[in-house]
Amino acid sequence: MSDWEPKIVSFLCNWCSYGAADLAGVGRMEYPPNIRVIRIPCAGRMSAKFFLAALRQGADGVWVSG
Amino acid sequence: MELIKYPRYVDESKCIACNACAEKCPKKVPSEYDTGLAKRKAIYVPYAQAVPLKYCVDPETCIYILKKRCGACVKKCPTGAVDLEQQEETVALNVGSVILTAGFQPFDPSQFDSYGYAKHPNVVTSMEMERILSASGPTGGHLVRPSDDKEPQKIAWFQCVGSRDLNRCDNSYCSSVCCMYAIKEAVVAKEHAGDGLDCAIFYMDMRTHGKDFERFYDNAREKQGVRFISSRVHTIDPVPNSDDLELRYVDENGDIQKEVFDMVVLSIGLETSAQQRALAKKLGIKLSDNHFCQTATFDPVATSRKGIYVSGAFQGPKDIPQSVIDASAAASAAGEILADARGSQTKAKEIVPETDIIGQRPRIGVFVCKCGINIAGVVDVPAVADYAKTLPYVEYATDNLYSCSQDTQDNMVEIIKKEKLNRIVVAACTPKTHEPLFQESMINAGLNKYLFEMANIRNQDSWVHKNNPELATQKAMDLVRMAVSKVALKEALKESELKINQTAMVVGGGVAGMAAAQSLAQQGYETHIIEKSDHLGGQALNIYKTTSGEDVRSKVKDLIKAIDQDKRVHTHLNTTIAAVDGFVGNFKSTLANADGEYSLEHGVVVMATGGSAFEPDEYEYGNDPRIVTSLQLDKMMMAKDPSLASLQSAVFIQCVGSREPQRPYCSRVCCTHSVHNALELKKLNPDMPIYILHRDVRTYGERELLYKEAREAGVIFIRYELDNKPQVAIKNGAITVNVIDHILGRPLELETDLLTLASAVLPNKANDLAQFFKVPINDDGFFVERHAKLGPVEFATDGVFLCGIAHYPKPLDESIAQGKAAASRAVTLLARKTLHTSGEVAETNPMWCSSCGVCVSICPYSAPTFTEEGPFTGKAQINPVLCKGCGLCVASCRSGAIHLKGFDNDQIFAQIFSLDEAVR
Amino acid sequence: MLEYNDKIREISKKILKECKVDLVIGFRKGSVPMMNEPHVVKNPDDVDKLIWDSHCGINLANYLTERKEKVGIIAKGCDSRNIAVHIIENKIDRDQLYIIGVPCQGMVDKRQITAKFSGEIQSIIEKGDTITVSGNGFEEKLSKTDVLQKNCAVCTHRNPVVYDELAGDLVEEQRGVDRYEDVRAVEAMDSEAKWQYFDEILAPCIRCYACRNACPLCYCPTCFVDESRPQWVGKSIDPTDTRTFHFLRAYHCAGRCTDCGACERACPVGINMRVFTKKLEKDCKDLFDWEAGLTIDVRPPLDIYRPEDPDEFIK
Repeated sequence: MSDWEPKIVSFLCNWCSYGAADLAGVGRMEYPPNIRVIRIPCAGRMSAKFFLAALRQGADGVWVSG
Repeated sequence: MELIKYPRYVDESKCIACNACAEKCPKKVPSEYDTGLAKRKAIYVPYAQAVPLKYCVDPETCIYILKKRCGACVKKCPTGAVDLEQQEETVALNVGSVILTAGFQPFDPSQFDSYGYAKHPNVVTSMEMERILSASGPTGGHLVRPSDDKEPQKIAWFQCVGSRDLNRCDNSYCSSVCCMYAIKEAVVAKEHAGDGLDCAIFYMDMRTHGKDFERFYDNAREKQGVRFISSRVHTIDPVPNSDDLELRYVDENGDIQKEVFDMVVLSIGLETSAQQRALAKKLGIKLSDNHFCQTATFDPVATSRKGIYVSGAFQGPKDIPQSVIDASAAASAAGEILADARGSQTKAKEIVPETDIIGQRPRIGVFVCKCGINIAGVVDVPAVADYAKTLPYVEYATDNLYSCSQDTQDNMVEIIKKEKLNRIVVAACTPKTHEPLFQESMINAGLNKYLFEMANIRNQDSWVHKNNPELATQKAMDLVRMAVSKVALKEALKESELKINQTAMVVGGGVAGMAAAQSLAQQGYETHIIEKSDHLGGQALNIYKTTSGEDVRSKVKDLIKAIDQDKRVHTHLNTTIAAVDGFVGNFKSTLANADGEYSLEHGVVVMATGGSAFEPDEYEYGNDPRIVTSLQLDKMMMAKDPSLASLQSAVFIQCVGSREPQRPYCSRVCCTHSVHNALELKKLNPDMPIYILHRDVRTYGERELLYKEAREAGVIFIRYELDNKPQVAIKNGAITVNVIDHILGRPLELETDLLTLASAVLPNKANDLAQFFKVPINDDGFFVERHAKLGPVEFATDGVFLCGIAHYPKPLDESIAQGKAAASRAVTLLARKTLHTSGEVAETNPMWCSSCGVCVSICPYSAPTFTEEGPFTGKAQINPVLCKGCGLCVASCRSGAIHLKGFDNDQIFAQIFSLDEAVR
Repeated sequence: MLEYNDKIREISKKILKECKVDLVIGFRKGSVPMMNEPHVVKNPDDVDKLIWDSHCGINLANYLTERKEKVGIIAKGCDSRNIAVHIIENKIDRDQLYIIGVPCQGMVDKRQITAKFSGEIQSIIEKGDTITVSGNGFEEKLSKTDVLQKNCAVCTHRNPVVYDELAGDLVEEQRGVDRYEDVRAVEAMDSEAKWQYFDEILAPCIRCYACRNACPLCYCPTCFVDESRPQWVGKSIDPTDTRTFHFLRAYHCAGRCTDCGACERACPVGINMRVFTKKLEKDCKDLFDWEAGLTIDVRPPLDIYRPEDPDEFIK
């Protein structure tokens, strides 16, 4: 289990968290490459169905930030 | 005017902010942005959010510029942007107006020996504390003290460092913002470190006079457990053999206390730098005694020189919302004198006809960017491009060295035409900065710009996974696959155009409303003032003098006269608003007066509905003619009431109806008003004993000088607590006021023949208007602006603006500035003449709509409404002009009747479903 | 509760005669015991078909959506709360309605009673709290309190919330009931136990959608389970799809569900799906101090944003 890395799907608000993820890049911060970002126009766009779909696809975690 | 442009030593048009230069630069210097707590290189970006995101060279530390050696950055730059031979240039500009926003410099506390800021590493300034608490700061937001990286258990804040102080510095004014930022820092520190952290703020008066600030203060004190100690600490003593700091202070009972803290934060004030003073001198504008730009109450953003305006802390210490208001007001003032030149330098754009792609099978083109080595240094770009070719509907895929360069863009246009591509994916940096650029190329190739998607393989991939090229390449492929599957489902979207009615309506004919109307008219727009009473002027007519001694009534009358004479301003007195139809650009309001109803079409509306004075329900108010409110005292002064000069004594009670549980806000103006009136009474009779009973004296900014003057004139200030309010009694025809003296702790009995109650400022009730224009009102009855800091004069609902007391209690100069600011924001809409809607908006399918009304209720922009006629009566519809494309309604719609173009369910699902191996 | 019959018929007759309404929605006796059927009366002479007893568990608010006529409706506590939700959600106008309120003392649980007897129940006679059950070769008296529907046993809103006229005197509300004992038990489980619990209670589901059809809240023209573009959820009885259906349906009911029990009552395989809706009901109570259907003036908490909405969970 020690090598196990969760696969994370994240839904990020275009106006805040997505921009923050961009800034993390500008600041050359490093984080593990096991996350896939889907840009949404606002965290309010997030539907429970998206969580379920992502989990169903096999994601180990879903992260919504906005 | 001539400007000197100092060399940046980097060509902005070539720099792609890849950081290769800074990586190689051998020169490390303390970072100004991180207040010296972290290092930067001699070639650097000042901070990550800098706009434009371009590097620059610090000529004072660059080895090449100083010694003509090194030049590593020139060699390393992949685009040849660094030019260390750049010279200073002189730029000549022909302008009609100048706006000064020179800002302030934080006070340097090293000159205070007794605080030992320069000696003790754990004595920090509030600016340093901001960086220590910031997630992007030198400690990543981890709260540790500088000397030993220990997590502090106890932190003290000292207020008024470099403010309200003539002993140790020359800044007698109040810096206005420090009380609030200190509370914020204490609360944030507790959030970071947990409730165990002890935060103590040592203050003279807590000045939380801004909108919703008092509540924040109450919460910090009562819920978050921040300690507030009314004491000015003289000395910080280091504890021997440790990095801790000992304070000795006199507590509220007059006892001397000793307490050891891990850190002390100095809440430093704002001041004008020598450079800024030199600029003022060069421009020939007058500064106040405190070196802030001199302005007048009724012209709050005009400097002493015509055509030059000022905004922000260069005019006086102020917080963000007030600075933003000033900035808009200054823009309005400049717009007023330059109205004739508006639009004289615009150019029309050539339009390429759009290809109709309806019915076409997707033909996707994928362009994978190397961004020099920024992406290609980590991600195997050619492999990603090859992979893209294998994806469904991808007809063309390639890699580019720099996708954003002009030649690549021209090339992209040719490829789109030649390959008949109808959807484009660019895998490169981030859509936040580059989407518009690539979309521009699509438009030039005749493609609808919404048939586009970006895969973020730089900011969110190569830049953050540089030690993991294999997985980064895999991630790039995943992101490209997800983008391709989404773009295949994208549709050509239409942006509709809508004319903006060039007329403005202002609700309320007080000073704020008149200022807004006057500015709108002077910028060339027909403006209607709707006033429910029979005259213009509002509350200002009840005020005697401004703090600088100007006669308010005559100034207001001048303003009314100017309004009356301006042919573009139409005043509707004795008129109210009965109904409102329409939305931004196309409002139709029904106005009502004694003769009946009539309608007015307008493009924008400014809410300036004002406020009134609270009628006190305590302190024997109404039971004796000698017990009056502040405005009643003004009236007596205006009437030159002879009894005032012969008074035996005068008492003022502050916070009557304000800062109480049922009205937990500070009315902002009353402290200054009472202090000013006390001084006026002293002018009539310098020997008159005058007492001001207060909870904190909130004479913010340069108003502090009045407070000082009042103390020097012998006015006595006595602090009382909310749970021990003064007692007023009328005994044998005499008014007596009993209060506990805060220094002696003894009860005092004051006999007086004039008791003035500084009563709260209440907003006028505007619930109907709020409903008509779909704008919110807070618990206190004030309108809720779009953003407390950055959008203080507009609502979230487009085309509706606000100013004056309807927003929050404020003095005349701030009301006028906000009126002008509202006009400025309104003009940004009016000047466009037409509105373009975004293509990425929500749309309902009435066949699926269940009319439940969740969308209508939940939309912050009032975009959804119920259809009123036709086959779909009762079903929801969305006005694309008001829709901001947030998708709140889409997610909230149980019936699945709402679609968000550009982020529709099937498009997001396509991304999720194509995660595939990314999550397997 | 039987004494309501006369009053219900009297009021119904009156409002139909006076043309205050075009029809009255109520119950008539079913063809088998404990299975009363919803019934629509249009002619004042037919009101005698209307009955009221402890087998009127179906939520009549379900029959109000998209009606254009003026409607008389017989409403117990939960029906009236769902009518309130309907009014808020534009399903019907308050002015269209004449609500005959019935203070309720709970409906009996057919399943519990049936399970007590091996033979077929042929008749049920109700008198006060006593229910006499008889069939071929048996007759037994039960206390109604012991065989209430589970939601009725913990009901705290027995009296109608909105009504035009009452069919009887208001009853005393139950006090001191613990509405959320079952929810807390699930909340206390660890993730694995919870998952297993969900799996177990949903295992028998045949995706017949009887729960959805019985629920007054489920009035969408097209339910998400029937959509194909996008297809939110598969149509099979694959456990993931079944879970998706039940979870999402529960979310759609958040802040709107009155715990009328119609879903559980309608389920042919006896699934306790109320545990999902009740969890959200409990959250709405804890977070927003909200109970659905008690007002026709305020929209449910998830329909509106208020500055004072709780946000402690964002950290």
